[in-house]
Amino acid sequence: MSGFDLAVVLGAWYDFRDLNNLSRLITEWIADWGPDWLSSIVTGLLGSLGILAVIGPTLLVLIWVERKVIARFQQRYGPNRVGPKGLLQPVADAIKLILKEQLAPRAADKLIFFLPPVLIFVPGLLIWGVLPFGPRMSVADLNVGVLFLLAVSGTGVLVLFMAGWSSNNKYALFGAMRAVAMSISYEVPMVLALLTLVVFSGTMSVNGIVEWQQQEDVIFILLFPLSAIAFFFAASAELNRTPADISEAESEIVAGYHTEYSGMRFGLFYAVELGNTLVISAFIATFFLGGWWLWGLDQWVPSWIILLAKTGAVYFLLIWTRGTLPRLRIDQLMSFCWKALVPATLIFVAVAAVERTLLVTQGWDTTIALPIMAVINIALTLGAVMLFARLARSERLRRPARTTLVRDRVGGLAAAREVASQAGGGD
Amino acid sequence: MIIGLEEYLALGALLFSLGFYIALSKKNAVGVLMGVELMLNAVNLTLIAFSRFSTSDITLSTQVFVIFIIAVAAAEVAVGLALILVVYRNRQTINVDRTTLLKG
Amino acid sequence: MSSFGFHLAFWLLAAMTVGGASMIIVSRNLIHAVIYLVISMLGVAGLYLTLSADFIAVVQVLIYVGAISVLMLFAIMLTPRAERNNTETSLKLPAAAVMVLILTATVFVALDTDWGAVRQAALADQARLIGQSLIREYVLPFEIGAVLLTAALVGAIALARHDDEDAAIHAQSLQAEADGTAEDVALLTDPPLVEVEADAGAGEDGGS
Repeated sequence: MSGFDLAVVLGAWYDFRDLNNLSRLITEWIADWGPDWLSSIVTGLLGSLGILAVIGPTLLVLIWVERKVIARFQQRYGPNRVGPKGLLQPVADAIKLILKEQLAPRAADKLIFFLPPVLIFVPGLLIWGVLPFGPRMSVADLNVGVLFLLAVSGTGVLVLFMAGWSSNNKYALFGAMRAVAMSISYEVPMVLALLTLVVFSGTMSVNGIVEWQQQEDVIFILLFPLSAIAFFFAASAELNRTPADISEAESEIVAGYHTEYSGMRFGLFYAVELGNTLVISAFIATFFLGGWWLWGLDQWVPSWIILLAKTGAVYFLLIWTRGTLPRLRIDQLMSFCWKALVPATLIFVAVAAVERTLLVTQGWDTTIALPIMAVINIALTLGAVMLFARLARSERLRRPARTTLVRDRVGGLAAAREVASQAGGGD
Repeated sequence: MIIGLEEYLALGALLFSLGFYIALSKKNAVGVLMGVELMLNAVNLTLIAFSRFSTSDITLSTQVFVIFIIAVAAAEVAVGLALILVVYRNRQTINVDRTTLLKG
Repeated sequence: MSSFGFHLAFWLLAAMTVGGASMIIVSRNLIHAVIYLVISMLGVAGLYLTLSADFIAVVQVLIYVGAISVLMLFAIMLTPRAERNNTETSLKLPAAAVMVLILTATVFVALDTDWGAVRQAALADQARLIGQSLIREYVLPFEIGAVLLTAALVGAIALARHDDEDAAIHAQSLQAEADGTAEDVALLTDPPLVEVEADAGAGEDGGS
């Protein structure tokens, strides 16, 4: 906490190491003359406006970064015509999208069709609220922050479903149902992966988890590497990014749930996808890489710059997987989730519980016990990964599972014939 | 006017009766389930309101109780929807007016 | 808590909850009804926040909005030939009468009784306290709840699964698609809708 104390000593609005200084100054000034509810509203507005002001321009840059980096992975140049090094390409794209006609299918469910491009922003923006950019530097440091993150990101599924269903297009509906199925499946390993951290650190506050890592001088990716891997996979599946983007697989179902959205409405979906990727990389950095803390460096460098650097590293990793891995089949994705990730993370929850109990009841010295536990857990993780690799080689697992079609569920040909004959006989 | 216990109780009663009406009157089995969920929510809201405004110290036990209700509601919805699927598979309908096999 | 903000929040959330619930009654489309249910549940979660039950509020969003509504949407999507409308049965009038009775009785009791209630202090660090009491005082209900959830899970899977029968039917329909007549293939790819007996106004709308 010394970094924070230092900021208090030097505390002034221009001290950019702690962004709280500025907002505290403003709220104290309002509290002098205004009613007490005004200052709390202004604090909330300041936080959200600050986040919006950062995310908006960042998204424009991220579009360029993502296209450029993927192009490099694929031995291409990427955008390089508009502006220096193609930097203005996203702006040109945005102008093009805004000028495009906004089409809506005639058979679409009008109200529900217009809502999703707006609603999709809500969960993605809300979870920025619990992200700590520094000690006590988050819009709302909830004591159930981890649960809040899971709950809010889970509601995004409904919006995707609304988009896909209201378009009245079979590809959109396929995409929506795939998104829903995948998202509720991958939520389970995501919850279990975070549960290991919650069990071990004994707090559900996001900032509390970072402070635990700072206090114990260890980052969670070393203690629970399997949880980190599982969370990374689950997050990239929830984000619909390429190894797992079956809900918008262009070779199978056109563009998935946003098939019927044109112009800027499509642009909003695209922007939200990038924004969600950014915030999830920030959360991976926070949970598993120590967030704003880096072995004392946070005393010299503003904590939010450390967080941004780590976020950038995770984001690069996500682009890397997107640029190099081919798209999985839906049955592979589902069986990977239920047969590999869920059991593995479940075992690690038990491991975390046992280790935590030992640590608390035996009163071991954490400086010795934690490295030993880290070594044991890394060995367990390697074993689990090698076991998975061996199992994945088996022919039976690689064969696509037989899909059960709805028409089989309702009795197939025989039932269809019967209904048709009934209908024919009735007339 | 201060928002007190009465306002929350009245709101819970209103929500409960709306859920009751939905559960009794909807033709579609999923609609009936929605009504049941609304009723459970109304009960939860009333419980939490009581826990916040009570004279004795029951806040914690009420919240635990609500958690149990939510868990049981989740189990009930899962089984209810599975039953709906089975009814649909056998009868090609989920209209509760037309599932009349038990009617003599 | 400032009283103006509190009032605003309470009335907005109450309007959201009751409005969502009423729209379930009014809306004629089942999918719309699910979305109104979600709005209503979100309103209830907000009301929990006004009662300073943060943990319950987040659980409400996680379970009702994230899981139960999605489950309902799945059930609706998996019953493709059933009616999608959300109309009332003939029990509409008696149900409305009983509803009004319940409403008047409960509201009368709620407003007339002297509860002698005072606003309690909010629990600090609720999640920890709830977790501790779940494995101390309430460990037996907790275990029973776990067993109940497992049983429900197994039961739901057992009910909804019908593999052997489906496999035969699947093979049959694949065969029909491979070498059947054009008529059969048409029956499979564009199945006829279930005829609704003399039930006007039950047209298929919404969805595919």
